[in-house]
Amino acid sequence: MALPLYERRVKHFFASLIILVTLLLFTFTLSLSIGSAMLDPVKVFKAIFLKPFGYSAEDNIDVIAMLRLSRALASLFCGASLALAGLLMQTITRNPLADPYIFGLSSTALTAVALGIILIPNLMVYKVYMIIVSFLGALAGYILTLSLSKLGGGSSLAMVLAGIAIASLFSGVSHILLYIVQQIVKTPYVYLLMGSVSTVLQRDLLFLALPTLLFAALIPALFKPLNAYLYGDEYAKQLGFNPTLVRDSAAFIAALLTAITIAFVGIVGFIGLAAPHIARFLVGSDHRFAAPIVALVGALLTLLADIVVKLVSLFAGAVGELPLGVVTAVIGAPFLAYLIVKKVRE
Amino acid sequence: MKIVIEDLEVWYSSIPALRDISLEVSEGEMTFVIGPNGAGKSTLLKTIAYIVKPKAGAIYIDGKFISRFSPRDLGKIVAYVDPQISKTIPSTVLEFLLTARYPHQATLGFSIQRHDLEIVEKISRQMNIAHLLNRRLDELSSGELQRVLIARALAQKPGVLLLDEPSAFLDLRYRLEILDYVKTSTEMNKITCIVAIHDLYLASLYADKIIMMNNGEIVAAGRPEEVLKKELLEKVYRVKIHLLNINGKNIVIPLEPIERIGL
Repeated sequence: MALPLYERRVKHFFASLIILVTLLLFTFTLSLSIGSAMLDPVKVFKAIFLKPFGYSAEDNIDVIAMLRLSRALASLFCGASLALAGLLMQTITRNPLADPYIFGLSSTALTAVALGIILIPNLMVYKVYMIIVSFLGALAGYILTLSLSKLGGGSSLAMVLAGIAIASLFSGVSHILLYIVQQIVKTPYVYLLMGSVSTVLQRDLLFLALPTLLFAALIPALFKPLNAYLYGDEYAKQLGFNPTLVRDSAAFIAALLTAITIAFVGIVGFIGLAAPHIARFLVGSDHRFAAPIVALVGALLTLLADIVVKLVSLFAGAVGELPLGVVTAVIGAPFLAYLIVKKVRE
Repeated sequence: MKIVIEDLEVWYSSIPALRDISLEVSEGEMTFVIGPNGAGKSTLLKTIAYIVKPKAGAIYIDGKFISRFSPRDLGKIVAYVDPQISKTIPSTVLEFLLTARYPHQATLGFSIQRHDLEIVEKISRQMNIAHLLNRRLDELSSGELQRVLIARALAQKPGVLLLDEPSAFLDLRYRLEILDYVKTSTEMNKITCIVAIHDLYLASLYADKIIMMNNGEIVAAGRPEEVLKKELLEKVYRVKIHLLNINGKNIVIPLEPIERIGL
């Protein structure tokens, strides 16, 4: 029983991997084709992926596609980061409702940005400075939550409660500050809260991609400790893993991944919550399988959501664009609802 | 593996849990730890597994001081069956059982050896849980989960096996079958097995040695017929006892409480 079952699990993993990568390539090409000038997806695919093999595109397709590349890549990396961070957070809190923002990182990042704009209004002109400020804010939030949870004994419950305390405090503070910011920037402050990948520039992309890949590359070292950690602190301990060390290092990676996405695209809810459930549904809870799959699922969901954002802004033609987070919720929630119903029925 | 404990003392913050515990357990033997609720049975097992750190005293495994073992080496040697595991994140029985082999594998390794799967396969057949391998842990009955937990400890192939309430939630047949299996396995593989249990009947059937605890101290220790005595049991458990002798074994029959709870 054990052997065929395990082999079936491995097969499922590779099948999911291949299907998700194919879907991702398809969606990625589609995302590059959609915009104010609609392109033929087949030509875009050739222009982007066959370029190294000497294929030359016609009608400046490659130029237009390259312009849209940063936006698509930003969705891809942020989606993967948020999904991985969500998986780590759900495991270390052993709470299937945890998401990457459970540590209150989003509210401290927002506070930092608002404070920055009030103190130095010119900050808004330089995207790079905004990114740095919000990253530092998110990092400060993580340090605050971690210190508070250590004071409370360092258990996963202390971590969740500390996160709630920090999040509530700074969401209040940031709203007060953003109210003042409205006077300076003359736009409703709701737009600062909601995520969008449309503002990511190509030259900043490296700062998004490199750290994401670096931190994602650390996660395989935690696969087995996290698998043991799932069943309790004492359980992990008697298998020779230090539960506090596992929890702290996974939280550190998750916090940094989240901080980077907040800095670049703002707050995009639901990906970090839904992607881990979808990944576990596909390949089970073993992190060796779930972690690669969750990154792909997150990237795919975010790309799809961004395509919807583009289509809505093209055809509904209102001022500006829909926030990405709104669309991720609308796409992600029904799928999660379907999973819940299906699992409860079983 | 021989376990020697000297003057062990354990505190939970300001509450003493174990005092002046000294004992010796030899390999190939089943030692049963009995005593009322809160006597310190689980704490003793957790201290031997080094999950709880003692305040004073020493534990030696095969003559080596326990803190000299790396956590990983201890994971290879000692298996503690925790009656409570977290099931909030859904996972299957197979995924759970495979974690038992982690102390024997490289932490960074990605693939799982055929050998490890064969061990899990064999033990899940013996414990009659092979049909449950693809089920989720939170879908099992209490008795099925209990068997899975014991199977996990056995799959770890430990030298020291610590069972905390292995008979809980099991029906008559599985109580006898599983303890019988553990006893055979203990003798054959020269395992040191310590069982904390409330069921005195099972203790009298399977114990080579019995340790009776009360209020964090050892009250009596020795062969079953030396420990399972009427006066001692009545004093520790506060229950009237009748002893039956069946097949040369003292079987404990509890009759009625000494103090009744008044309305």
